[in-house]
Amino acid sequence: MFGKGLIKGLAITWKEFRSKKFTVQYPEQQHPKPERFHGRFKLDVDSCIACNLCANACPNNVIKISSEKVEKKKFLTKYIMNIEYCLFCGMCVEACNKGALKFTTDHDLTQYHYDAIPLVLVEREAPKPEPKPEEEASEEKGGKNAKAAAGKKGKNKEETPAASADKSATEEVGAGKAPEKEGQ
Amino acid sequence: MLENLFTNIAGSLRNLLDSAGVPPLWNDVTLLVVKLVAILVFILLNAIWLVYMERKVAGYMQARIGPNRVGPKGLLQTICDIGKLISKEIPINQGADKVLFLLAPVLVFVPPLMIFAAIPFGDGMVALDLNIGLFYVFALASLSTVIFWMGGWGSNNKYSLLGAMRVVAQMVSYELPMILSILGVIMLVGSMNLSEIISAQQNMWFIVTQPVAFLIFFIAAVAECNRTPFDLVEGESEIVNGPYTEYGGMGFAMFFLAEYASIMIISAMATILFLGGWLAPFGMTFIPSWLWFFLKMYVLIFVVMWFRWTYPRIRVDQLMGFGWKVLVPLSLANIFVTGIGMYIYRAIGW
Amino acid sequence: MLRTETYTMNFGPQHPATHGVFQVVLTLDGERIVKAEPVCGYLHRGIEKLAESRTYTQVIPYTDRLDYLAAMLQNWGYVLAVEKLMGIEVPERAEYLRVISGELSRLASHVLATGVYALDIGGVTGFLLCFRERERMMDLLEELTGSRMTLSYARIGGVADDVPEGWLDKLDKLMDDMPGYIDEYDGLITGNEIFQARTKHVGKLSPETAIDYSLSGPVLRGSGVNYDLRKAKPYSVYDRFDFEVPLGKNGDCFDRYYCRVCEMRQSVRIIKQAIEQIREIDGPIKAKVPKVLKPPKGDAYAEVESSKGIMGFYIVSDGTNKPYRVHVRRPSFINLGYLDEMCRGWLIADLVAILGSIDIVLGEVDC
Repeated sequence: MFGKGLIKGLAITWKEFRSKKFTVQYPEQQHPKPERFHGRFKLDVDSCIACNLCANACPNNVIKISSEKVEKKKFLTKYIMNIEYCLFCGMCVEACNKGALKFTTDHDLTQYHYDAIPLVLVEREAPKPEPKPEEEASEEKGGKNAKAAAGKKGKNKEETPAASADKSATEEVGAGKAPEKEGQ
Repeated sequence: MLENLFTNIAGSLRNLLDSAGVPPLWNDVTLLVVKLVAILVFILLNAIWLVYMERKVAGYMQARIGPNRVGPKGLLQTICDIGKLISKEIPINQGADKVLFLLAPVLVFVPPLMIFAAIPFGDGMVALDLNIGLFYVFALASLSTVIFWMGGWGSNNKYSLLGAMRVVAQMVSYELPMILSILGVIMLVGSMNLSEIISAQQNMWFIVTQPVAFLIFFIAAVAECNRTPFDLVEGESEIVNGPYTEYGGMGFAMFFLAEYASIMIISAMATILFLGGWLAPFGMTFIPSWLWFFLKMYVLIFVVMWFRWTYPRIRVDQLMGFGWKVLVPLSLANIFVTGIGMYIYRAIGW
Repeated sequence: MLRTETYTMNFGPQHPATHGVFQVVLTLDGERIVKAEPVCGYLHRGIEKLAESRTYTQVIPYTDRLDYLAAMLQNWGYVLAVEKLMGIEVPERAEYLRVISGELSRLASHVLATGVYALDIGGVTGFLLCFRERERMMDLLEELTGSRMTLSYARIGGVADDVPEGWLDKLDKLMDDMPGYIDEYDGLITGNEIFQARTKHVGKLSPETAIDYSLSGPVLRGSGVNYDLRKAKPYSVYDRFDFEVPLGKNGDCFDRYYCRVCEMRQSVRIIKQAIEQIREIDGPIKAKVPKVLKPPKGDAYAEVESSKGIMGFYIVSDGTNKPYRVHVRRPSFINLGYLDEMCRGWLIADLVAILGSIDIVLGEVDC
């Protein structure tokens, strides 16, 4: 019969009219994100040995690392990612031998000003080499920088006084003191 | 009591003016003006509501919720859209014919307003009870063709020109089956007065005695309004918006609202001609007549929207072929069969 | 005497129906097309040139962006070419994972092609219903790889990650639901008389012309030529699956469109068989490949059956860790070669139908 397909089409739309809607009302409801989601980056500053494998693996030269030699060990002073060029391909995370660089599930990376886009994961002064054979200033434990609340700036701004290099402080494992950073 | 709400208001207004000592001529004129203003407000409010209803119906048929952020359940969406459109610039092309370009969106609301003046909304609620009511309605409906053509020609744009050509071809060819199909109804009633057509359906609605005519009328009327499946005039995939391409801001809004006004007109006409107008089915007269009219009109408007969101659009040559080669012969056959049927009825003596 | 003349209209780069930034300069006589000249290049990003200054692994994210709708198939083609050059053998589990994610990408691409074709012809509802399914597939791909669209899942020698917990069951459930959804598209779009009137007998392509112009994919199979790379020259583990190759009869728009719908059903079959078979197989997901890849001097060409046609990668290596030249044989670009003649004599509305049935994606056309 001519017109059978037309009536079937109407029946399908009528069924859709009455069935459950697929909409997820963002931002009140959100889809749960998987663990492997390619979101914001986080760097475990203790595990990072500044080997530059991630910077070499990146197709777009997003990662800029600088380190200094302190007492025959490499001390990471700067780890900045130019997110505006990043493809979020994951080559850097895969290249890291020590598992220091990781993704988080935070997708909110928008900024209001162009200068605030680069993700400054570490930016700190190298400690002065000590004449005394004391422990290095490795108290500046890098906490996990990827807290989701950072909407306006690209990173956390928890000001805690970093332990100065002069003190012979013992290493505090697990203290979540964020290192000093310059605000932007 | 609810039944005669509007007639009572009109009656009390007339008494008020009478007691104030106004001469009868001015009395009539004022009442007519009030009725026309009320119809204008009705059209505009309905058009605004229909924009929202279309978006919600579209959303629900597409497995999503329509607008639901602005206002409770999204009801204020159209108001905000109109506010946004008012604030926009109306760009005028270089080389566009300014008079035609700017006159088209202004004039596009005139035919719907004039048509609605003659439509009976309820028992005794007609602004202009014309003896040739049906003829008047369809004569005015043909006027809108010229206005779309003006808009398309004045834009100085090849896409608009194509769209305008399509509009003229489509609206002219589909008027013929539309009018031929209702000749059967006129033959059954014997008059073109809209109120008499409604009274003639007291025992049986004409959709039962003239089903083919209803189908032809509905299809041709949807084509007249440029709605999918016949919306190749503004077929977004090909000519980007047809004659409305160059319009921005309020010009665009006018065309948009006029499209909804014409949908209301064809639903109203279909209700009057085939679905018994304001008559209550099965004698359920506790619902006032004007509410019945409203409900029937909205059921048909929903069906028009349902068509839009289900069907793709057909091509120009297929459209013309369908109109001239299928609908016109069918409507002529319908007249023939109705005539024979009436003769046999009378011969049997019913 | 009445004299008519043709006029030029620009079916410009900004148009709702050209699937991207694509321009067709039309010469029209009334509404009939006299000549249709495609102009591409608005999306050119220089991927082939960029690949010359990146290492072999760094090129993989760039190949995602070629046909971004079915990203895994592009990755696969590229790594196949590199593996051919270096003579690497891929472990079995990795092959199965490539097949599963590749067929899922193909399914997603065809679903989108169907929906967008419905949108072009005018039935907007079909478009949104198709995207609902595509959302579910992209959610699954997100769980597997971390990205929804530009997957970068394949690596030279295997794939990047193994499947997470419970992923295969979710995929199984989606594949159970898919035939119902495909029936819905059939009812709403394919069976619609208006849609059939728009697409049947429009834009006919004969099989000989198709072979002459080296068209491939559903465009070729819609004309009746039985050439699917997965059956004609099976690569990877495709010879272990049982599936059919749908063929068209008339070579018109409807046949090309219907080929895609049928291919969707076959993809569902392949994925279901692959899920069963992969549960038995355990093993590494990546072969032992040196960290710094230095293929021997030489060149290699490998093709895969992508959703748009045959996707080929030609790699020339000069012994260093960066390729000397990467050339991509892009099916959308080659399929567009016949657009001009195919459109002559049809109306503008048919141009939209024909372009939709060839199913181009601009990332591929412009590279």
